[in-house]
Amino acid sequence: MKLLQAMTVGSIVAVFCTTLVAYQRTADWGYQPEQSNVKAEFAWSRLSYNSNLGSSRYGGYGYGRWATWSRDYPKADRQFLIALNRLTRIQGRPTEQVVNLDTDDIFNYPWVYAVQVETWSFTDEEAKRLREYLLKGGFLMVDDFHGTADWENFMTGMRQVFPDRPVEDLENKDEIFHVLYDMDDRFQVPGEQYIRTGRTYEKDGYVAKWRAIRDDHGRIVVAICHNMHLGDAWEWADDPEYPEQFASMAFRVGLNYIVYGMTH
Amino acid sequence: MFEFFFKYPIPVFTKGRLVLLGSWPGWVLLLLVLASAAGLGWLIRSRLSEAAPKIQTWRAGVVWLLQSLLVALVLVLLWQPAITVAELKSQQNMIAVLVDDSRSMAIADSGDDRKTTREAAAVKALGTQRNSGILAGLQRRFQTRVYRLDGGTARVAKVDDMQPKAAATHINDGLKQLTAETADLPVGAIVLLSDGGENGGGIDLDTISALRNRRLPVHTIGFGDPQAGHDVEMDEVSVASRAMADSRIRATVTFHQRGYAGRKTVLAVKDGDKALTSKDVTLGADGVIQTETVFFNGGTAGVKRVQFSLAPLIDEENLANNAMARLVSVSGEKRRILYVEGEPRWEYKFIRRAAEDDHGIQVVSMLRTTENKIYRQGISDPKELADGFPVRAEDLFGYDGIIIGSVEAGYFTPKQQELLREFVDRRGGGLLFLGGRFALADGGWGASSVTELLPTFLPNAKNTFHRDPATAQLTSAGADSAVTRLLDDPAKNVERWKKLPYMMDYQNAGTPKPGATVLAEMNAGRGRLPLLVTQNYGRGRTAVMATSGTWRWQMSQALGDPTHDLFWQQLLRWIAADSPGRVVASMPTQRLMDDGRVRLTATVRDKEYTPAPDARVVAHIIGPEGSSALVDMTPVPNNAGTFQAEWTAEKTGPYVAEVTAGRGAEELGRDVLTFERTDGVAENFHTEQNRELLEKLSSQTGGRYWKAEELGRLPSEISYSEAGISVRDTKELWNMPIVFLVLLGLMSSEWLLRRKWGVI
Repeated sequence: MKLLQAMTVGSIVAVFCTTLVAYQRTADWGYQPEQSNVKAEFAWSRLSYNSNLGSSRYGGYGYGRWATWSRDYPKADRQFLIALNRLTRIQGRPTEQVVNLDTDDIFNYPWVYAVQVETWSFTDEEAKRLREYLLKGGFLMVDDFHGTADWENFMTGMRQVFPDRPVEDLENKDEIFHVLYDMDDRFQVPGEQYIRTGRTYEKDGYVAKWRAIRDDHGRIVVAICHNMHLGDAWEWADDPEYPEQFASMAFRVGLNYIVYGMTH
Repeated sequence: MFEFFFKYPIPVFTKGRLVLLGSWPGWVLLLLVLASAAGLGWLIRSRLSEAAPKIQTWRAGVVWLLQSLLVALVLVLLWQPAITVAELKSQQNMIAVLVDDSRSMAIADSGDDRKTTREAAAVKALGTQRNSGILAGLQRRFQTRVYRLDGGTARVAKVDDMQPKAAATHINDGLKQLTAETADLPVGAIVLLSDGGENGGGIDLDTISALRNRRLPVHTIGFGDPQAGHDVEMDEVSVASRAMADSRIRATVTFHQRGYAGRKTVLAVKDGDKALTSKDVTLGADGVIQTETVFFNGGTAGVKRVQFSLAPLIDEENLANNAMARLVSVSGEKRRILYVEGEPRWEYKFIRRAAEDDHGIQVVSMLRTTENKIYRQGISDPKELADGFPVRAEDLFGYDGIIIGSVEAGYFTPKQQELLREFVDRRGGGLLFLGGRFALADGGWGASSVTELLPTFLPNAKNTFHRDPATAQLTSAGADSAVTRLLDDPAKNVERWKKLPYMMDYQNAGTPKPGATVLAEMNAGRGRLPLLVTQNYGRGRTAVMATSGTWRWQMSQALGDPTHDLFWQQLLRWIAADSPGRVVASMPTQRLMDDGRVRLTATVRDKEYTPAPDARVVAHIIGPEGSSALVDMTPVPNNAGTFQAEWTAEKTGPYVAEVTAGRGAEELGRDVLTFERTDGVAENFHTEQNRELLEKLSSQTGGRYWKAEELGRLPSEISYSEAGISVRDTKELWNMPIVFLVLLGLMSSEWLLRRKWGVI
C-alpha cells in the first residue's frame, strides 16, 4: 500500500515537473552559443554564479537547462545587443560575455547582468570580489525574480556582498529613469508566460519593484528589477504574441540602465 | 713703508695724474730717450769685436739695456716729473661717518677675541676718546658728522649711544638719502662702518651715479666674520602663491650650511601649528647651496601662512635664519571643465568619477548617447549646453578647460573650431584631446583647423585607434611632473607607473611637435608611442592623452588604490587651474621686507576676453588690525586693459587685496592677491659680513675697503678726494728716495756686470 502511495505521488510529481518544463518554452538558440572576436567598447556581461539549488543538474556554471544564471541566455542578450547598437551610440559587441566571480576577469567588464538571483549563492571570496567590483565602479543589474520568497533569497546573497547598505525604492525623478529615455510611466513587464496566462506577475510578486543599492556617493551600483522579467521581454520581443509595449519598456529600461552604468 | 720709498701715500698715485713740469715738450724727451738708446747700441756694437769673448753674446744686450735705462731715467728727471692730485682743503670739508646700527651688528664675532659685537668694534674703531680712533684723526683736518644707518640715515649726537637694534639695513636707501640731504654741504668723503648686510637687494645704479656725480668716495670698513662657523641658513623658498583647495603644492627650498657637512636635520612645513609635511635632509658641503623639494596639501580654501623650517642643530650660531614663511592663497572656487564626448564609454564614466572626488573641479559634460540625444551632466542650470556645444565666445570662455573625447572634428562647425582655438589662445584655457575611435586622426582632426592646437603631428592615416592592450611608462619629464606624479620621489614614481595595469586600448597620436613635452609613453604592439603630450599654446595649454583605456587602472587594482583618480585629478587640474580669470591682479613681490610700498597691477578683460580699457578698477585692501583701504587703479598708457596703483602698507602683517573690475553696472570680474609686510626678518639672514658688497661699493665710488689694521692711515689718505672743497696739488717726484735708489741700482749693476764679463 505504501509502495502504491509512493508510486502515485512520484508519478504526480513527475507529471507536474514534465508539464512545468514543457510549459516553459525556451528560444531555440542553443546553449553553447558561438562567440565573437569583435572588439568593442561595451560587452554585455552575464553573471554566471553558483546556484543554491545544490544539485549538479540544477546548479553550477554549466549551460544545463536548469543552470539558473543562464535563463533566457543567449537570445535575450543578443536581441538586446541588437537594440543597443541600433538605438544608441554605444559600440556594443554583438555577442555577450559570460563572467563569474571566481577570477578577476570580471573587472574588465564594468557592467554585469544577472537573473534568477533568488538562487544565487556566494562563497566569501566571491562575495568580496563582487563587493569590490561594485565599489570600484562596476554596475550590477538583477532581473527575473518574483515574490516575497525570491526577495528573501536574493537578499541572503546580497547581504553577503553588502551587509549594511540599504535597499531603496527608486523614485520617478531618479536619474536612472531619465538618462536616455524619460520613464516616469513604468509598468510591470511580465515574462513569456503572459501569453498563456494573461498575468503580468509571478508568484506573489504582484507589483513591480524598482529598487537599488547605492555607493557612498549616492550612485546606483546595484539596480534591482524585482517582480518583472525583462530578460524574457527581450527574448520574446520578436514573438508576435508577446505584447510590444512590454518589450519596448524592457528595452528602454535596459538601455537606461546601461547608459547610467556608463556615466555614473 | 710705501711712503718711505715713494714719499707720498698710495692714493696720491692712484688718484693723481702724472705731469712733466719741464718747459720742453714731451716728444723731445721721447726722441732723446730713443736716440740715446740707439747711440749706446751703436757704440756697444762697434766695440764688440774688441771686447772679451765672454761679453760678445747676450750679455752685451744686458749692458746696453742697463745703460739705456739709466740715461732714460736721467732724461725723465730733467723734464721734472710730478703728480697733480686733488686734496681736500683742511678744515673746510665735512666727512660723513655712517655707522650701521641694525640688529645684525649685535652679533658677537668681531674684535681680537672674536667675541666683541660688531657694533662695539665699530664704535671702538671710531674712537670715543679724544685723540684716539678714526674720528679723532678725521677731526684734526675735517668736520665730521656721524649718522646711524638702518632703514635710512639719521644724525647721532654721541657715538656711545648707538645700539644695534634697528630692524633693517638699507645701505642703498641710506646713501641715497645722505647724498640728497647733503647736496649743499662740502662733503669730502663718506666713511661707512657696516657688516654689509643690505636687506634691500643691493646698491642700485642710481645711487652709484649720484655718488659719482659728486665724485664722493665711499670708504667702507667691514665688521663681522665673512664666514659663519656653525650655521644653517635658509636662502629661498619657492612656492606658488595661489593654489586650488586640496591641491598638492610643490615647494623648492634652498639653503646652505657651514660647519655641519654630512649632518642630518629635518625640513618641516607647517601651517600655524599644523604640520603639513616633513623631510629628512642630509646637509651638503660647507657653503654649497642645497635644494630640496617638498610636497604638501593646500587644504581648504583661505590664505595660509606656510612656515618652512630647518630643525636647529647643536651649537648653531643663528637660529633666526632657519625658517621662512610664505603666503599661499588657497582658492575654494571650482574650476569648470567642459567635457564633450561622442559616445558612451567607460573612460568617460571613470574620468567623471575621479572628478567627483575632487572638490576643486566641476566637470560639465555633454555626451552623445544617440545620434540626436545629448546627455548633460554637471550643468549649473537647465539651459546650460541645452543647445549643444556653445557657439558664442562668452558662453565657451566661461569654462576653464575643455576635454574633447571620441568626437569627430566634423561635429564642430568651423566657427566652433575657431572658438576652440581662441579658447586656448586668447582666453588662456586648457584643452585636452583623448584617444578614441572618433578621436584624433580617426576623427578627422588632422585635417581640421584645430590641428595647430594639438601638441603632436597627427598621422596622416585612419585606423590609428586599436582596442589592444598597452602599458604606460614615464619619460624623464614625466617623472617629476605635477600631472603624472603618483609618488613624490621621481624614481619611485617611474617604477610605480611601470606597475600600472595595462590600458584597454591605445591610439597613435603621431609625433610630438617641437616645444611639446612628452610626459608618458606607452608600449603598444611592437613599438612605443606617445601617451601623454603637453604643450603651451598662446595664453593656454593643450594636451593629448592617446588612450581611452585608463579605466582599467581603477577596476584592476586593489579597492582603494588612488592611482587612477589621482592621475586624472592632477591632469584635470593641469587643464583648468592656470586658466586666468577676466581680472588678473599681480604685484612684483608678495613679501614687503621693511618697506610697505607696493605697486598693484591688474589686467582686465571682458566676457570675450578682449582687453577692457574702459573698466573701472578698484582694489579693496584689508590689512592687519582691521585696517582697510579702497584704492582706485588707473589705466596704464599704451597697454590696453592694464591698470596700476601705488599704495603703502603701513603696518606689518598679512594683507588681502581684492581687485574688482566693472563696466557700468556690470561686474567684469575680480581677483584676490595676498601679500605680507615683515619688518626685521631680513636682518636675520645673510648675517655674515658681505665684504663683496662693501668692496664693490667703495671701488665703484673711488673709495677703498679698509681692514681693521689699516685704519690708522684712513684720516690722512681720505683727504685725496675731488668732492667737497678741494685744491689740486702738484707733487714733484724727482726727489723720491726710490728714484735715487733706482739710479744707484742701475749704475752699480752695470758696473758690476761689466767688471765680471769684461769691459767693452
